[in-house]
Amino acid sequence: MLKKEQNDLVTQTGPGTPMGDLFRSYWLPILLSEELPENDCPPVRVKVLSERMIAFRDSEGKLGLIDEFCAHRGVSLWFGRNEECGLRCPYHGWKFDTTGQCVDVPSEPEESGYAKKVKLKAYPLIEKGGVLWTYMGPTETTPPEPEWEFATVPLNQSFTSKRLQDNNWLQAMEGGIDSSHVSFLHRGDLNNDPLFKGAAGNKYNLADSKPVFEVVEAPGGLYIGARRNAEEGSFYWRITPWVMPCFTMVPPRGDHPIHGHFWVPIDDESCTAWSFDYHPTRPLTDTERQAMKDGKGIHVRYVPGTYRPLANKDNDYLIDREAQKAGRTYSGVEGIGMQDASLQESMGPICDRTKENLVGTDNGIIMARHRLMRAAKALHEKGVLPPGRTVEDMKVRSAAVILPPDQPYKDAAKEALIAKVGVRQTSV
Amino acid sequence: MLLSESARVTTAQEARFRIQAPNSKPRAVKVIALDSEAARLVDDISKKPWNGAAFFKSLSFEQSGGGNVKAWLNDLAGHTSDLVGEIADADCVVVIAGAGEDAAAVSVIAELCTQYHKTLVALVVPQGSYEQDTVDRSLKALRPYAKMLVIAHERDYIEAMLTALRA
Repeated sequence: MLKKEQNDLVTQTGPGTPMGDLFRSYWLPILLSEELPENDCPPVRVKVLSERMIAFRDSEGKLGLIDEFCAHRGVSLWFGRNEECGLRCPYHGWKFDTTGQCVDVPSEPEESGYAKKVKLKAYPLIEKGGVLWTYMGPTETTPPEPEWEFATVPLNQSFTSKRLQDNNWLQAMEGGIDSSHVSFLHRGDLNNDPLFKGAAGNKYNLADSKPVFEVVEAPGGLYIGARRNAEEGSFYWRITPWVMPCFTMVPPRGDHPIHGHFWVPIDDESCTAWSFDYHPTRPLTDTERQAMKDGKGIHVRYVPGTYRPLANKDNDYLIDREAQKAGRTYSGVEGIGMQDASLQESMGPICDRTKENLVGTDNGIIMARHRLMRAAKALHEKGVLPPGRTVEDMKVRSAAVILPPDQPYKDAAKEALIAKVGVRQTSV
Repeated sequence: MLLSESARVTTAQEARFRIQAPNSKPRAVKVIALDSEAARLVDDISKKPWNGAAFFKSLSFEQSGGGNVKAWLNDLAGHTSDLVGEIADADCVVVIAGAGEDAAAVSVIAELCTQYHKTLVALVVPQGSYEQDTVDRSLKALRPYAKMLVIAHERDYIEAMLTALRA
């Protein structure tokens, strides 16, 4: 459990909050490249960390992320005209470039220099791995650009999607480091989902629903090892990395692509669940890519024209009680992504952690919260930059290995947990 | 469009109507220091207000006279306690080990935890500057027994964990 003031601390990410400052220390994924597909395409509304912005790609391909509202009369620039290297408000024609600088106020003489005195708040927006990333913190402490492996492999080796989730970021992220739920919530999918089935390790998952855990601190976050029995006294280890504040990876299965998530706050009551799949050494097959588009694995199908899941709370997640009873799905909800999202949304917009009853095997979650709170306070009160900002922190991988009983996973799988160009993932 | 049941009940407004009655009874968490270094930590932590957690120092296997579990534990006032009774009465057992210290006592504690179906959580707490192999030695000693094994470099993590467990 957390005390109320602790729960407030870790769940509130708006401007000026300690956790908001922490999130503003990292590059965050906010849009897919496909949302701004070409120069002068329509602008897109974005809300991140409780700040409303507008993103656009100008006539020269420059990316802009600026305050959503025109500095003149407060009109949303989503209605703006994206033309001739700027976004022009349709109300009175004020125009802004990708840095937020006002470049034209038609009612004022150009020579007056009036436009130069008006500038909207803007954040950098960069493109990497089919994703648009922003950094919303102080310029002088800008971290290295994203070097996560999924964002640096060739585009034909990766697939990234996002879904809107109607709950606070933390309860979503905590699902990403909670290995023990897989044996229950997702058990129906291990042998059926095309992006999971066939892996030798699945049988250990299904046979041993009471894993033993080992939590090891890493410079940028944590490694959470879940140990299950394998043959002849050996152990099957699934190792989940968490990098502060909101990056998690799922341990791989066989030669299937590796996957993971970013959990980015939209505001305190909703977040974007980013889901990526990639293979370090080969292009994704057409079958794999199609399965991802069809909402298999950790991805979801959408309400057409949106990033809202097709199964959502408005239709009770299309729950199928027959499938639940028959064991085809454990919760009755189809798809791993929606199985997680449906339960996390059911906790309410912000989970009341004063009422929870954690057990000893929840130490991964307890330690992640502890590190987040500690880092947020150190940054807010003393200006100490948080962990997880270096290139080394980002060069991380999940792994699945079989080890003899006396071998610590953090040593035996040390190399497997580092992303290396051209080296296949370590998997079972 | 009518709101579905799920949509209606997951609003912030509906959260106000959640039952506020306690949903669990106080749990008996037994915190056992396995060595003198860990005992100092446990001694400090025990002075804070807890929700019924009990703190002990484990005697080493030799000191206990080769397995007299009736006098295996010392509470922090120095009185001996019956290990069997304490484990039988526990909801969760947390053992704390200093890096590289003798953690042999865990085997006896773990055996009783198994007998009484109690979850054993083990924390290794390296202090100051330490050699990695001392941590590895502790992990090796604890790994066969712990359901959850944690290396906690920050000593305030012990308090955070106990608070999270409502100890």
